[in-house]
Amino acid sequence: MAYPLTKFPLECVTMPRDPVNPKDFAYASDGGFPLSPGAAAGDWLFLSGCVPVDGSGGVVGGTDVAAQTEQVLANLVTVLAARGGSLDDVIKCNVYLADIRTFQAMNDVFASHFPNDPPARTTVEARLADSRWLVEIEAVAYLGKG
Amino acid sequence: MPRTTLKPPSLSFQPRSTYPYSPGAMAGGMIWTAGQVAWNSRAEIVGPGDPAAQTQQALKNIGAILAEGGAGFEDIVRCKVYLTDFRYFDAARAAYEAFFLGAPPAVTIVHALLADPEMLVEIEAVAFKP
Repeated sequence: MAYPLTKFPLECVTMPRDPVNPKDFAYASDGGFPLSPGAAAGDWLFLSGCVPVDGSGGVVGGTDVAAQTEQVLANLVTVLAARGGSLDDVIKCNVYLADIRTFQAMNDVFASHFPNDPPARTTVEARLADSRWLVEIEAVAYLGKG
Repeated sequence: MPRTTLKPPSLSFQPRSTYPYSPGAMAGGMIWTAGQVAWNSRAEIVGPGDPAAQTQQALKNIGAILAEGGAGFEDIVRCKVYLTDFRYFDAARAAYEAFFLGAPPAVTIVHALLADPEMLVEIEAVAFKP
């Protein structure tokens, strides 16, 4: 049976999202999955899960979770910076680890980037879209003044 | 802008090097909690092996974070529940339900492994309290 598309409220698909697309973010437009690296709404910025790839889409850090986490955080910084934000504006992170046993290796890098009053965070083990990715981090940031 | 973090007295052991995040953070009328597990105020798991007791304690911790931001369970718009085993579903559901009589918030429940094998349930919440 065909899905009754005609009954689907049209405004749902034409809603004016405000996508955030930093230059040099190759993996976000490589045809792998339809996504914007970020989407802004009011003072809020919602970031896609960032993965350990560089501007050309190559995996960074090999099998080293710490090195991968560094790259993931660098990618988050790139998306935040596209709207004048920084890690200081991050309110919440969700961390997905391919293997929860790498929790502390990820933690050490995470802590070094959030030395004071870190954001709220949740970390769970989950399989990621590319088996070479060992860590993925998504974030919500607030770019308002108060 | 500097973050406004929420650290209720009962969760004052966070952040720490093994768990380097704040229990909650608040901005623009929204409160985001970190994923809460069944830690008591001494960072010990309440209800080892008991998913109902762990669900209850995780939600109590969420309540403490929300209170720190002047909000309550009625302000939660969405929860995410992580269970290390879906056999815990019924027990977690019953414990969860008691906190959300009336109109419960949106929720997502998935199976996921957590930081410590003792942790059976983790719950995070986002609340709107302008």
